[in-house]
Amino acid sequence: MNDGASYLELSRRYGFAPKLESASRLTQLVSRQDADLDEIAKVINKDPSLRARLLRVANPEAENEAEYAVETVEDALMRNGMGCVLVLAMSTPLAAALIKTFQTMLSLKIEAVDPRTAAPLTGEHLLCNIDFSGKVVGHVLLRLSHDAGRLIAAGILGTTPEEMKDLNEVRDVAGELLNIMTGNFKSNLCDAGLECKLSPPDVRSTGDFSPPVARAGSIEHMAFQSGKIQIFVDVTANPWSDD
Amino acid sequence: MATKILSVDDSRTIRMIVGRTFKPYDCQICEAGNGEEGLAAAAREKPDLIILDVTMPVMDGVTMLGKLKEDPALKTIPVIMLTAESGRENVLQIAKLGVRDYLVKPFKEEQLIEKASRIVTLQKKPAA
Repeated sequence: MNDGASYLELSRRYGFAPKLESASRLTQLVSRQDADLDEIAKVINKDPSLRARLLRVANPEAENEAEYAVETVEDALMRNGMGCVLVLAMSTPLAAALIKTFQTMLSLKIEAVDPRTAAPLTGEHLLCNIDFSGKVVGHVLLRLSHDAGRLIAAGILGTTPEEMKDLNEVRDVAGELLNIMTGNFKSNLCDAGLECKLSPPDVRSTGDFSPPVARAGSIEHMAFQSGKIQIFVDVTANPWSDD
Repeated sequence: MATKILSVDDSRTIRMIVGRTFKPYDCQICEAGNGEEGLAAAAREKPDLIILDVTMPVMDGVTMLGKLKEDPALKTIPVIMLTAESGRENVLQIAKLGVRDYLVKPFKEEQLIEKASRIVTLQKKPAA
């Protein structure tokens, strides 16, 4: 029974890993209707990876840094507004959860790679989708090849890829992977007062590569690589929805 | 007598991992895919431990935990939450309802064994 313990005490008692500070801070800042752009810029400028990702989100057409029209964090915030910051704040725990899932459940190291230079997926592949609604509306899409799905499913279920003949099992593992990733960022959003609900994962095979639809500046494309496994993740978000 | 563990999760993957985790031990694993099935399985099987997810269709884990704790016949069954969600409100509410422990996904099998063994006796099966 809860003995009146605070969240911090319960976090220690249950052995929770500490939350990512920059992501939590950003989410808290974005959750305020009167968000202070200078303060947000300060947090992003302190973290080189966040800064690089914001500029990538703010320059969706550019193929490399030399083509950037938006070159500073302040400019990116002015032009794109809070949507792109929220996407960054959400993608950070999402990416961390993916990396941690590979480490803990597969004993594999997976790394974020530049989605603009990653070899693209072709043909039929697995598409996993989770929608979220509430004070933030958007979705998370995860794409990977069937072979990558089999490798991951085999690793998680302790079998071999050859034994993973049932595509439904592969789909279930892919859906759970996305569940774990989104559950982590949902906690972050809720803690910042941006309560939202997640849909159950929808996993299917498709040859369709249509990009997700979202307001400009509020999509982040990410890619991850671990040996033969390549995973593409798109996050879209619109804050302050009245839904 | 084997330790009876009920795994309640809508993901077959997680139920399979839980089953595999306790395989080396003298345990009997029962499964349910949502809170409603979980309550029925708890009443039927009287498990020694329940491992419970939060977000599930039909009835979520928080509702199931609340109903379990309201039932005089079931309220003493210890529960470990196994979920990807560790938001403040969720955790405070779940702790208030009377959960014994909480494990955030992704998790290592050893972590689940460690937490379970603090609550129930886990006896290794003799080597075949």
